[in-house]
Amino acid sequence: MTAGLASADHKVDDFIARGVTAPLPRFYGDALVAAARRDPRIVCLCADLPGPTETDAFKQELPERYIEAGIAEANMVGMAAGMARCGEIPFLHSFCVFVTRRAYDQVANQIAYPGLPVKLVGFLPGLTTMLGVSHQAIDDIAMMRALPNMTIIEPSGPEQLGAAVAAALDVPGPVYLRMKRPDGAMASLQARTIQRGRGEILREGADGTIVACGLMVSAALQAADRLAVQGKQVGVVNMPTIKPLDTELVIGLARRTGVVVTAENHSIIGGLGSAIAETLLEAAIPVGFARVGVQDTFAEGGTTPYLQGKYGLTAEAIVDGFIRAAAKRASMQVNHD
Amino acid sequence: MSAAPHRTETSGNPQPAERIHDLAALKTIARELRRQVVRLVAPTGQGYVQQGLGATDIFTSLFFSELRLDPADPAWPDRDRFLLSTAHNTAIFYATLAARGCIPASALESYCRDGSPLEINASERMGPVVEATCGSLGQGLSVAVGMALAGRRQRRPYRVHVVLGDGEMQEGQVWEAALAAGSHRLSNLCLLLDYNRMQVGGHVDSVVDMNPVADKWASFGFRVDTIDGNDMAQLLAAFERARRDDQKPTCIIAETLVGKGAPSLEGILGHNMRLPPDLAARALDELSGEDA
Repeated sequence: MTAGLASADHKVDDFIARGVTAPLPRFYGDALVAAARRDPRIVCLCADLPGPTETDAFKQELPERYIEAGIAEANMVGMAAGMARCGEIPFLHSFCVFVTRRAYDQVANQIAYPGLPVKLVGFLPGLTTMLGVSHQAIDDIAMMRALPNMTIIEPSGPEQLGAAVAAALDVPGPVYLRMKRPDGAMASLQARTIQRGRGEILREGADGTIVACGLMVSAALQAADRLAVQGKQVGVVNMPTIKPLDTELVIGLARRTGVVVTAENHSIIGGLGSAIAETLLEAAIPVGFARVGVQDTFAEGGTTPYLQGKYGLTAEAIVDGFIRAAAKRASMQVNHD
Repeated sequence: MSAAPHRTETSGNPQPAERIHDLAALKTIARELRRQVVRLVAPTGQGYVQQGLGATDIFTSLFFSELRLDPADPAWPDRDRFLLSTAHNTAIFYATLAARGCIPASALESYCRDGSPLEINASERMGPVVEATCGSLGQGLSVAVGMALAGRRQRRPYRVHVVLGDGEMQEGQVWEAALAAGSHRLSNLCLLLDYNRMQVGGHVDSVVDMNPVADKWASFGFRVDTIDGNDMAQLLAAFERARRDDQKPTCIIAETLVGKGAPSLEGILGHNMRLPPDLAARALDELSGEDA
């Protein structure tokens, strides 16, 4: 190897800021290949991001079922719809912003309206990219939620990436998978399943409930630890299916604990927090409530920890949210008395 | 014109509807379909009459001569696919489907009435004869590319036909789809450009000049065939050439005249035209004569 020339080892091309140089694990991509070996109807489409969407293995191992759509997401969505109408189950891949915001009309008309079994798979959810506003999906859940027939699944972390494939296949219609790749080696990972339409109680607590999705699930667990130090027992729910929402679980926990805080790597408008607010108000639950997420603002490029700190996507922000929500709950009870 | 079948039918498949290759018979059908377009649009006094009359020969040649389909089984897996990307040109589309037996003739009575599955913009609400809900312009060719890719992968014999409006070419997605079709050498794909030079804002070239159109499609990897889209013999010959090409998708630039067949309507650019009763009666009168 001539010094100064890039070798294959230097090709990163995965759009993730990370400290390790080892190849990233491919929990989603390997699960997709395994599923495709079992089901010949599965095809894979990708808009020039085989590495960053973990579909490079599919491309290599099942090339006759891999369609390189090029940098043309709207057309990719239409092609996937045509393939689904001819009996195939397309998984199409790009970043979250491009399979939603960029191709929204195509997704609405060609996939959601006919209810086709197309799985829209996006990476780089929320603020998790150095590339800034153009690549930050802070409105994708809001848009996909507004589409009839659409299911939205966001794994809590690397431990649920493999399960996302099974969860998507479990839905007979369209699914939006919103995923964050691991940003380092995950040697001791314990894989967990996703139950479609069901929230997962990770921690019990009588004083309040944090409902979180995606990377905010681990922040929620940290927040619950900190609140426990302050003498507050707060439960944590992972909500990997944002639509359809596990409304029964949310209503039950809200009734029992009286305080609900939502936490998401997304705008507080239209995402998980909005969905839960709608649910609770329609069920007329008296609850202290706060939403943690991107506060109706555009962000900028930066490392994920930096952006989480700057835009309030942290355990501290959730603790603050809980204190606000609990105070509101207390004042409601005072006013009621 | 030869009456021989286009190709050997796949054995074991249901026998598709018999296809007509006799020019005089097709022209007679087209004349009746034109009358039907006027009759469908007349009750509301407003609609896509100009586009329908202009595209009648395309629809007639496609549905009665070219497409392998089974009216009794609209979801027959090996049927040729047809996508109306513009989607609003429904008076002629529904009239053709009814005449071909793909929908009951009585269905036309509900055309554009509230609650009817025959909406002015074709939706799959009306059943599998609408292969995809288009009308948000520029999307039909992408879906067709996906169908053609799936057909090739599954080794199915069907072909995919798309009717695209010439104004619709202004949508960027059309060119994404064109790139994909050319790149994949989808010879089982046939695009019909209904080149009537009309869009909402007037003459297409006065809104955004799309020329040179043939060069554009050729440069994207299509075999391009420019024909008179109101000449039945030219349409049939163009389909035949498209079928013979096993290397490239085909783009048939079918130059059509809006209002074709009714001299009092011919050439009048009116995207969603008013058709008062006297004008409708006159058009029907003009369309009642003998075939040329």
